[in-house]
Amino acid sequence: MKTTVRYFASIVAALAALAPVYWLITISLKREVDQFAYPPRWIAFHATLQHYAEAFGGGSFAIYFLNSVALAGMSTLAALLIGVPAAYGLARFEWPRRWDQRVGDWILSTRMLPPIVTIVPLFLMLRGVGLINTLAGLAIVYTGFNLPFVVWMMRGFFDEVPREMEEAAMLDGDSRAGALLRIVLPLVKPGLAATAVFCLVFAWNEFLFALILTQTEAAMTLPVGIASRVTQYEIQWGAMSAAGVVAMLPVLVFASAAQKYLVRGLSLGAVKG
Amino acid sequence: MKTRVPAGFAWVAPSIAVLLALSIYPLIFAVKVALTDASGAATFANFARLAHDRVFATAAVQTVLFTAAALAVEFALGLALALLVDSLARARSLFRAAILVPMLLPPVVAAVAWRLIYNPQFGVLNGTLRRMGLNTAALTWTDGDSSALLSVILVDVWEWTPFIFLLLSAGLQAIPQEPLEAARIDGASGWQSFRDITLPLLKPAIVLALLLRAMDLVRIFDQIFILTQGGPGTATETVSLYIYRTAFRFSNFGYAAAMSFVLLVATVMFSRSLMKAMKTR
Repeated sequence: MKTTVRYFASIVAALAALAPVYWLITISLKREVDQFAYPPRWIAFHATLQHYAEAFGGGSFAIYFLNSVALAGMSTLAALLIGVPAAYGLARFEWPRRWDQRVGDWILSTRMLPPIVTIVPLFLMLRGVGLINTLAGLAIVYTGFNLPFVVWMMRGFFDEVPREMEEAAMLDGDSRAGALLRIVLPLVKPGLAATAVFCLVFAWNEFLFALILTQTEAAMTLPVGIASRVTQYEIQWGAMSAAGVVAMLPVLVFASAAQKYLVRGLSLGAVKG
Repeated sequence: MKTRVPAGFAWVAPSIAVLLALSIYPLIFAVKVALTDASGAATFANFARLAHDRVFATAAVQTVLFTAAALAVEFALGLALALLVDSLARARSLFRAAILVPMLLPPVVAAVAWRLIYNPQFGVLNGTLRRMGLNTAALTWTDGDSSALLSVILVDVWEWTPFIFLLLSAGLQAIPQEPLEAARIDGASGWQSFRDITLPLLKPAIVLALLLRAMDLVRIFDQIFILTQGGPGTATETVSLYIYRTAFRFSNFGYAAAMSFVLLVATVMFSRSLMKAMKTR
């Protein structure tokens, strides 16, 4: 293939990927008269921030936004606190009859469960203990969902650290936990950060669990808030697009920060990058 | 003989406890709910009802159709794009970053963007086509009985081809250059060296990408929920959507649990056979 053809095809692909996102951004910045004008206004339009002010200035989207931030933070922290020691335990200790392998596989298999399968019982369980429509209830569910991911990813990172590192520290009188905190964790810091980013993004983007487990204004997350506006009779496209843009920005920032680990994270650690 | 608990167990125990509570117990609970009627007596009615449920059959067929069509297109496009971008001499990482964007968006946001685009009266898609001189009266996209499923597949292709592209790009970068150069010196054509060298070496990445993608497609929910809610009629109904509606619109938890149990068994069997088929090829 000719070089020019290749570049032309690549540009077409890039434009196809970006055009819908660009269009969403323009809608969030357009006055209502321009939003659905014919012919479509791609570049020349009067830009306004009124929809952002509408959505977030005292509007419900400010609440959803804070809910999403709190939820992503809580569930990520919890998944790391529970999952990192498990990853270390599987990576470093002698297990009889390959139990480390079996336990690891079982932990990963729980990640493969389709959410729609566990959502009915989880809804009934949370309703039973009064945690429906609370951020805490949803945070618990997200922690359970992110946990297998944390164990699987961090185990791969721990495997890459030579055992001699912490054995030396332990000979110097450090406890195992001390060696993990002072020697091993600093060495896997980039991997730990990447794992945290994936957990944050999952909690930030997740829709199905949030839709069912948080139906009240006070506990609603950003994706559910956006979706609830779509299904209404009269859609406020401007405010909804503005909320959509705000919802996607942190993800794009985080993803570019964790770019090096994108393949590893998205393949559940199956491809080491 | 004394059985000793391995020293690492204490480190893993909290994770095991959480997963037992949040993954395994719910599964058992779901089976119990599916096998109990409103009065609490044991019943098999929820599973028996599945056999006669037309909507469930439609949803199952459409889920399979959706999965197969989207997977085929995403794989073909993703492989082509990975090869294309890999062959560029410059600006490779720039193109790569641009192509990855759709996959990174929150699925809800991606679906909202496409609702804006698809709207038959004032959406930008028909607007642009009309501007190019096309009659768009018949192009109703997600609103049309016959075009809705295709339109939803198109959104999934837009959103997730980048995933296949990403994994196959990584696979291509890991392929050593020496055999390809040797083949070129020996006079092999581009197609020959692709078929005999690149493709076999890329196979692990291909298997992984197809497997992960297929498991995600079978459970499709977010995009369809936003774009069509399963409609018009049942034109885009999938198993996930039907389970959702049964449980949370009609409050029939027993029947929803029975369906989700069937979905789980089907997913496990499907991924097993997929793995087997790919290993033998």
